[in-house]
Amino acid sequence: MEFDKNSTLKLAKLARLSLNDEQLDSLEKDLTSIVSFIDQLKEINTEKIDPTSNSLNQDLILRDDIAENKLSNEDLLRNVPDSELGFFVVPKVIE
Amino acid sequence: MLKNLTIEGTAKLLKDKKISAFEIANSYIKEIKESKKLNCFITISEEVAFDAAKKTDARISENKKIGLLDGVPLAYKDLFCTNNILTTASSKILSNFTPTYESTVTANCKSQGAVVLGKLNCDEFAMGSTNKTSFYGPVINPWKSSDKDDELVPGGSSGGSAAAVAADLCVASLGTDTGGSIRQPASFTGLVGLKPTYGRVSRWGTVAFASSLDQAGPISKTVEDAAILLEAISGHDNKDSTSSLKANEQFYANLNSSVKGLKIGVPKEYMSDDLPEEIQNFWNDGKKILAKNGAEIVEISLPSTSTALPAYYIIAPAEASSNLSRYDGVKYGLRVQEKNLIDMYESTRSEGFGNEVKRRIMIGTYVLSSGYYDAYYIKAQKIRSIIKNDFDSAFKNVDAIFTPATPNTAFPINREEVDPVQNYLNDIFTVPANLAGLPAISIPFGLDNSGLPIGMQLITNSFEEQMLLNIAKNLQDTLNFNVQPTQWWK
Repeated sequence: MEFDKNSTLKLAKLARLSLNDEQLDSLEKDLTSIVSFIDQLKEINTEKIDPTSNSLNQDLILRDDIAENKLSNEDLLRNVPDSELGFFVVPKVIE
Repeated sequence: MLKNLTIEGTAKLLKDKKISAFEIANSYIKEIKESKKLNCFITISEEVAFDAAKKTDARISENKKIGLLDGVPLAYKDLFCTNNILTTASSKILSNFTPTYESTVTANCKSQGAVVLGKLNCDEFAMGSTNKTSFYGPVINPWKSSDKDDELVPGGSSGGSAAAVAADLCVASLGTDTGGSIRQPASFTGLVGLKPTYGRVSRWGTVAFASSLDQAGPISKTVEDAAILLEAISGHDNKDSTSSLKANEQFYANLNSSVKGLKIGVPKEYMSDDLPEEIQNFWNDGKKILAKNGAEIVEISLPSTSTALPAYYIIAPAEASSNLSRYDGVKYGLRVQEKNLIDMYESTRSEGFGNEVKRRIMIGTYVLSSGYYDAYYIKAQKIRSIIKNDFDSAFKNVDAIFTPATPNTAFPINREEVDPVQNYLNDIFTVPANLAGLPAISIPFGLDNSGLPIGMQLITNSFEEQMLLNIAKNLQDTLNFNVQPTQWWK
C-alpha cells in the first residue's frame, strides 16, 4: 500500500487529526514504510488458527453491579476545560 | 552513607535507626534538584515525599512494625495516575492533568509506606524506545561512552525510570512495559528491569497504551529489590477485568538462587550475525555460568520469532488508536477551542499529540478500518496465537529461556533520524514476551569496550516469576556487576 495525500487525509479524518502539509508529507512516507513492514505477515498461513485477544488464560471478570460513589461531582470536574452548573460544556452540537 | 542505596539497604538503615526517613528523602530531593540536566523528572513531589517520610519516622519512633518499602524513596513513570500530583504521560495533551484518584499500583506502594519523590519522564504515552518522543524533551542517559562525549539515550519508553535509578536519584522506580519499555532501558543503564506476567499487576489507573500488552513493573539496582517491588504491586484487583485471580506470592522471602537441574533454552532464531560481537560474547558467558552453576543449556526453536515485530506493530497501534480516542478536549486535558465540536476534537488532538503518537494513531486507525480489520488486526491476533504456541511448546522442555535483552547498547540522542521501522527493531528481543503475556527480566551483565552497559534477558512461563527471579539472582550473584556511572552531570 502506497500512501498518497488523499489516502493519508482520509485516514487523518477518521482519526480526528488535522495535519499541515509538512506533517502530511512525512506521514505519507512513514505510513508507506510501516505498512510494507507489517505486510510481510500476509505470507503466513493462519487459516486454522484462532485469534488471541489477550494472553491471560482466564475469562473476563465482572464486578457485581453495585453503585459506588467514589468521585464527587467536584472531583470529576476538577480537570474540565469548561463547565457550567456541574456539567461539561462543549461547542453547540445541534443547530 | 547514602550512596547507591537499595530497598533492602534502606529498610535496614531505617530499622537500625541509623538515619531518619526524612533525612533520606531530603538527601534524594537535593540530588534530584542538582541533576536536572538529565531531565529524568517531570514533577518533583517534595511535599508529598516529606509528609510520607515523616509518617514513617513516626511509626519507627512508636516502635511499630515497618515493612520493607516503608520510608523508601521511589519514583514513578509519569503514566501512573497519582492523586493530586500532575500526571502527564509526557504528552502536551495531558500537561495540565492532575488526577483525583490513585492507580492501584502506586496505591499499593503508598499503603506500604513508600515515599514518592516524583514523576518520571518517558516517551509520550509510552510510545518509543529512546525517550525522545516526550513533550518534555529527551532524558539523558547517566552513562557515557568512554571514547566519545555524545549524550546518549537511556532507552525507552521508561527512560526516566531507568536513568533516575542509574543516576541514584531514587532507590528504585516503576515503569511500564508494552513491548520492552522496562527491559530495554534497564539494559541501556545497567539495571534490573522486570515485566510481570500479563494480569499479575493491575492496570487500573495507569494511562493505557495497548491494553492487551501493558504491564507495570520495577526497575531496580538488584534482583532482590525487583522481588520486593513486584510483591508490593501484584495481586488481584476487581477494577481491572484482566487482573489475574491467582494469589500473590512472597517473591522476596522465597528467593533462592539455585539453578541446579534447571533446563534453560537458548532460541536459535535469536542468534544472528548482525548481533554485535560483545553482546554475543556476554550471551555466551551467561550460558557458561548457568551451565557451571548446574543448569543444563539446550538449544530450542521459536520458529515464528520473525513475525513478532510486525504483529506487535499492528496490535499495539490498533489498541492505542482506540485508547487514545478519549483525548478529545471534553472532560480533561488540553482543549483547543473551536466553533464546532468536530473542529475542536481535531484541533485539540493535532495540537496535543506529538509526531510518533500521531503516526501510531494513524496506523492503528488504518488496521482497524473497514475492509482492513480482518487482513491486519485479526491476522495479527492469529499470529499472536502462533507465537504463544511456540512458547508453550518450548516450555514443555525447558524451565526458562535465555536471550540478549537488546540488539544494541545506548546510542547518541542526536543520532540522525532513522526510518520509524528502524527504531522499531530496538524491540526485537523483548516484544515476543509481551505478545505471549510471559514474565521476563533484563539483568545487567557488564560493559562493552566503550564502557556502556549490556543486559541479558530471561523469560519463563506465565506466573513463574519466582523462578525468573531465582535464575536472575544466580546470574547476578555470580557476575557481581557493580559499576555506577561517573557523575559528570553535576
